[in-house]
Amino acid sequence: MSDVMTTAPPTADNGMGAGQGSRRLAPLRSVLRSKGFQGSISFLAFVAVFIGYAVWLGDKFASTDARFLDIHQNAPVLILGLAVMVTLIAGKFDLSVGGMATLTTFLTIGLKVNQDWPFAAVVGACLLIGLIGGLINGLLVVRLHVNTFIATLGTGGVFAGIASVYGKGTQLSPTATSKGQIPGWFSGPNSFGSFGHKFPSWIIWVGLAGVALWAFTALRHRRPASREPRTWDAISAAIVIAVAALALLVVKIDGWVSAVSWTIGVLLIIAVIIWVLLGHTTFGRYLHATGSNPEAARLAGVNPGKETVRAFVLGGLLASIAGIVLAANQGAASPDVATGFLLPAFAAAFLSTVVLSTGKFTVWGALIGGTFLVWVSQGLIVGGLPFTWTDVVNGVVLVIAVALSTVFFQRQTT
Amino acid sequence: MHDIVIKGLKKSFGRNEVLHGIDLTIPEGEFVGLMGPNGAGKSTLIKILGGVYSRSSGEITYGGNPVSSLADLTEVGFIHQDLGLVDDLTIVDNLRLGEEPLRRFGVLLDRPRERDAARLALARVELHRDPDTLVADLAPAEKALVAIARLLDRGARVLFIDEATSTLPPAEARRLVDALARTVSEGATVIMVSHKLSEILDVAQRVVVILDGRLAEDSPSSQLDREALVQMLIVHESQTLEDNRRHTAPGDDLLRLEEAFAGRAGPVDLSVRAGEVVGLTGLPGSGLHDVAYLAHGSVAPTKGRVWLADGVRTALVPPHRESQGGFLEMSVQANMTMSALRDWRHPLRILRAAAERRDANQMIEKLSVVPADADAAFGTLSGGNKQKVVFGRVLFRKPQVYVLCEPTRGVDIGTRREIYRLIHQLSDDGAAVLVVTSDSEDLFAVCDRIAVVEEGSPGHFISVGETDAHELEAFI
Repeated sequence: MSDVMTTAPPTADNGMGAGQGSRRLAPLRSVLRSKGFQGSISFLAFVAVFIGYAVWLGDKFASTDARFLDIHQNAPVLILGLAVMVTLIAGKFDLSVGGMATLTTFLTIGLKVNQDWPFAAVVGACLLIGLIGGLINGLLVVRLHVNTFIATLGTGGVFAGIASVYGKGTQLSPTATSKGQIPGWFSGPNSFGSFGHKFPSWIIWVGLAGVALWAFTALRHRRPASREPRTWDAISAAIVIAVAALALLVVKIDGWVSAVSWTIGVLLIIAVIIWVLLGHTTFGRYLHATGSNPEAARLAGVNPGKETVRAFVLGGLLASIAGIVLAANQGAASPDVATGFLLPAFAAAFLSTVVLSTGKFTVWGALIGGTFLVWVSQGLIVGGLPFTWTDVVNGVVLVIAVALSTVFFQRQTT
Repeated sequence: MHDIVIKGLKKSFGRNEVLHGIDLTIPEGEFVGLMGPNGAGKSTLIKILGGVYSRSSGEITYGGNPVSSLADLTEVGFIHQDLGLVDDLTIVDNLRLGEEPLRRFGVLLDRPRERDAARLALARVELHRDPDTLVADLAPAEKALVAIARLLDRGARVLFIDEATSTLPPAEARRLVDALARTVSEGATVIMVSHKLSEILDVAQRVVVILDGRLAEDSPSSQLDREALVQMLIVHESQTLEDNRRHTAPGDDLLRLEEAFAGRAGPVDLSVRAGEVVGLTGLPGSGLHDVAYLAHGSVAPTKGRVWLADGVRTALVPPHRESQGGFLEMSVQANMTMSALRDWRHPLRILRAAAERRDANQMIEKLSVVPADADAAFGTLSGGNKQKVVFGRVLFRKPQVYVLCEPTRGVDIGTRREIYRLIHQLSDDGAAVLVVTSDSEDLFAVCDRIAVVEEGSPGHFISVGETDAHELEAFI
């Protein structure tokens, strides 16, 4: 039986007990303590690392094309990052996405090359297998109450194993004598899978205009009480225009836009869809509630089991898409091609809890975090570190990111 | 003499003073019963003595020596509702936990000697159990006895028992109280916090009542008038009652439980009519909360029937706010709108952010949630404000049947009144309200009919306001 006293907040001594001397530092301190600053520390740290590399390595590193090629090649990993993030939001680990992506890579190549299915049927079959695989994971976890680690570790092994059986344990790639040929628009030079084939830039510009508009309205809503609405509107517009000008003139964002390949474009479209699903639908809200407190969710009328199954299905679907994109990029399937993506995928998902956020999984944080992760290791490689160090870098950054997010989250709730 | 003398003890949380100067002497060798309604300050007093809180002013002396708390004295032991035993260990292991192990040959544990010591300790509380029994296999009262035996074994002469009996069925509680009385007859001092008047009056030599952070009564139990004590507790509790109760006749049944069973509850026969507030109370472990889950529909009956009138929605304020109340890292807004989220869904299945924000802000204002920030993380709110947010969620659902568990647990007096007013308003508007609470004040303040749940079943319902103090005593 709890009492009034046990839960009464210590309102009066909530301050920091700051003495006279530290008063001058108060504005600085309030900035340091603000959620916005803490949420962007990691982002700023990454930007600092990036600039550091640029200064150290010069044009060898600071090349728009080379860095966007990194994103292009890393797109399957980033999609897998979104896949694991969906289930992480529901409080579950999905370790099967690497196996699933490996399987659909093999099927995308194999069903065309060996079986010569119509390509639409090949893609459809891969997506369906992703859905079914996710459903199996979900039912194992929710209905049979199998520990998620064990269940998805097992199914992931099965998925990769089926790929291996189907591919007879070796690489699968189209040859001149193959029964069917991969469509030229999908993989090969100047195709969906090639970096040289650029995404229509007007779509990106429309998207960026949308971001600017969103930033403007977000700023408007944060009007300090001391400002007149009209002057604040003007200030908000000025800030957005200034940032846009900076992006155009200093960062040369038009160069970025023209570097976006079709693969990156599709990645962005997927990200927008997942962002809408997670942030602006009942499904997303219920999923967050399920991950936050399943018992409270149930008593509030949410069905946590159903939402968890849906999360696994969506994760499986995204994993299968990652495999298809990987097939397009590589034009071939080699054994366990995507199983090693699990670590960077989880790193991207967990980095999202510290990049531009404090303790929450976010779509854009995962994309940015996953991209920075590649850049961090690429910079070392450009600087002379053997590429075999990549996983070491990924592992270290993952652990640091998770530690940071834990610290931030505790600070937020206590 | 090792008396405990408390002088002018005050305690404030922020600007909120909850103990307004307590003067109390606990003579060595007495059995003292400490009573008072929830939130009166009993637990705060015990927690200050136990070193959990520090006092704001006043002094405490033990045997004439000023002390900051009694926690560090080996002669003083505290037993809380959570007994601090490890269920997966045996009695003897629990007794030895944290003690210097008894050894032979320098390294090996001397198990026979430990067992003998354990038997001796258990004999002092007349618990005749094999010391190798797992604590998990003991009855609740036996666990409490083990906890007491452990304290006595370590030389405790003064025992503070904070509501350890409130979770026990009467017979078990009796056994525990008898064991405590025996230790007193052997020279120990016992201070027991309890809600149960009869329990206290039977064994305590002195009864101390705390009301609103002040000492309201401190006299030998032989000189106490039982009726007067009941009056003191009930009258005080009903003072918070808003005297604007409507007397419109209740309408039709909206909810009926017929011979329903689930979990520890059953058989439950119960009906709630439109415009009526029905109250249930009971001890933890009585199945009280399972009755609430049954009524809400979050648990399906394993036997019997839960009937709802056509088109009736239910909503629940869950009993354990910290673990079941909400989503700590999610916003206040998301916590409030969770149960009625479809109301803000656009035909394209996207949530209408502006409308949701506007409605959430209105609810925040209506319930005066502090801070008035829809984006604040639920976990950063105080207990009372969390409770308001949970109420907001329930209100957004616009149910016809409300199941409110522990509606005022851990909230301050002001919020308590607001919640009572809200409940009145709901029933005035024709809703059926089931209040399930372990706090008797809730029953007297808002309910039309009340019953005690024992062993899963609500007993005889009585109408509040037409009942004498004697009958109401069962509800304190």
